[in-house]
Order: sequence, then C-alpha cells, then structure tokens
Amino acid sequence: MTKRLTRAALLTALALILFTVEAQLPRPIPIPGARLGLANIITVYAMFRLGPRDTLGILLARVFLGAVFAGAMMTLLFSLSGGLLCYAAMLVLRRILTDRQIWVCGVLGAVCHGLGQMLAALAVYRTAGLLAYLPALLLSCMAAGLFTGLCAQFLVARLKNAKGLSL
Amino acid sequence: MLKTKTWVAALVALAAVLAVLALALRHARAPGTVVEVVQDGVVLRTIDLARVTEAYSFTVTSADGGSNVVLVEPGRIRVSSADCPDQICVQRGWLSDQAAPVVCLPHRLALRLRGETAADAVAG
Repeated sequence: MTKRLTRAALLTALALILFTVEAQLPRPIPIPGARLGLANIITVYAMFRLGPRDTLGILLARVFLGAVFAGAMMTLLFSLSGGLLCYAAMLVLRRILTDRQIWVCGVLGAVCHGLGQMLAALAVYRTAGLLAYLPALLLSCMAAGLFTGLCAQFLVARLKNAKGLSL
Repeated sequence: MLKTKTWVAALVALAAVLAVLALALRHARAPGTVVEVVQDGVVLRTIDLARVTEAYSFTVTSADGGSNVVLVEPGRIRVSSADCPDQICVQRGWLSDQAAPVVCLPHRLALRLRGETAADAVAG
C-alpha cells in the first residue's frame, strides 16, 4: 500500500513538473486551448503500468494542483472535462492496445482531451463560433498526442527492462 | 487486437478529415460586417465595421480585473493588447480575415461576427 501510494505521488510530482515547465514555454500555435500536453505522458504511462484506479488519482491530483500552481482556476474546468474524457477513452484503449501500440492511446487520448475542453468552453462561453476552431484544435491534439504517446511507449518499454527500478 | 497498420490507417484518415475541415472553415468568410464584443456571454458592444470611418480603441475590463484593448479601424477589428498570460487574442490579429471569433479565454472575451456562420448553423 505504502509503495503504491509513493509511486502514485512520485508520478503526480513528475506530471506537475512537466505541466509547470510546459506553461513557461511559448505557445507554438495561436489556437485557444492548444498545448503540447507533456503531462499526458504520465497519464498514458500510469494507465498501462499501474492500472485505472491509480491513474485516476494521479490525473485528478495533477489537474487540481496544476490549476493552483498556474494560478488559473478558470482553466480548471477545461482541464477537468478534457482530462476525464481522455481518461474514459483510455479505459477502453488500454484493453485493446498491445504494448507496441501505446502511442495510439496518446493520440486518441489527446483528441478526447481536446473534445472535452471544447465542450466545456462551449458550455461556458455559449459561442458556437468556437466550433470553427475544433478541427484545427483536434489536429494539433493528434500531433501532440503522437509525441506524448510515443514518449510513454518508450518509457513503458525501457522501465520494464530496468533492473532494481520498479516504478 | 487490431493491427498497428489498421490504427495507422484510421488515424491518418481522421487527420485528413480534420485537415480538410480546418481548411474549409478557414476560408469560410462570415457574411456581414456587424461585430459583437462579448464577455461572459453578454454582448457589451455591437459595432458595424462598414460604418467606422475613424480608428479608435477601447478597453474591456473583466470581472477579475483583466483588461483587453480592442482596436477598431474601418472594416476591421482586433485585440491590440491584453494583460492575459497567453496573448493568443493579440496574436490572432484582425477578426475580418477569418470566420472564427477572436477569443481571450482567460478574460472570457470574444469578438465575433454577428449572423449565421457555418459553425452557428451546425450548433443550432
């Protein structure tokens, strides 16, 4: 139990570091809500190595603490709806993907994250014109998700073979 | 278990559809020249860009103290400066070029063209 908790806490801390560092980088594309989403690496990794329950804990802790650290409680709603939709998609994907297809989980998880964000934004702003951003947003999600998904896949493969390090 | 090839094909197809949609929406010019300045879902100002003869600007302050400076010129409008962290609204540039609204998410501000655009029709 202690080990499990420590492992989840460590991964949460890692996700928060990635999240905070990423927030300092300039945004490459001027689409509202488009980000690289480096913390997604941790979510995908946890989903395939620790299982759904621990992943949900890590995800929620990261979303809440991330909003506190970034000082933007408004974005909490967007990350939360995006994160939960992404989580739901990954619940299905972890059952049907092999270890060499983990990158797919990154891509589709990111797409669902973008969809969830957009749904929350539509609910908050009630501006249907926001939908015009959706295809471009989802495209950038796919690209970012491919990157983070591949990172997670390599991480799973490498840490499986690492001796004396059971993260 | 699906083959990796199947996944690649499906995702490439999805990306292609999204790219076509993104390009289509980029070129979909919204008709009309009447622009609404909206914050928290409330229309603050309605401006007919066709009737603007002289450039002017005004500041919109959000409930939590953030501010955006909106610049209006004959036929076009943009956010010229803002104190939000991401500056996406400023980078978007002039609204008149595109169908999508200029949005400042941190301050819940949007500059949008009034009237039916393709996206409005879809959302009912």
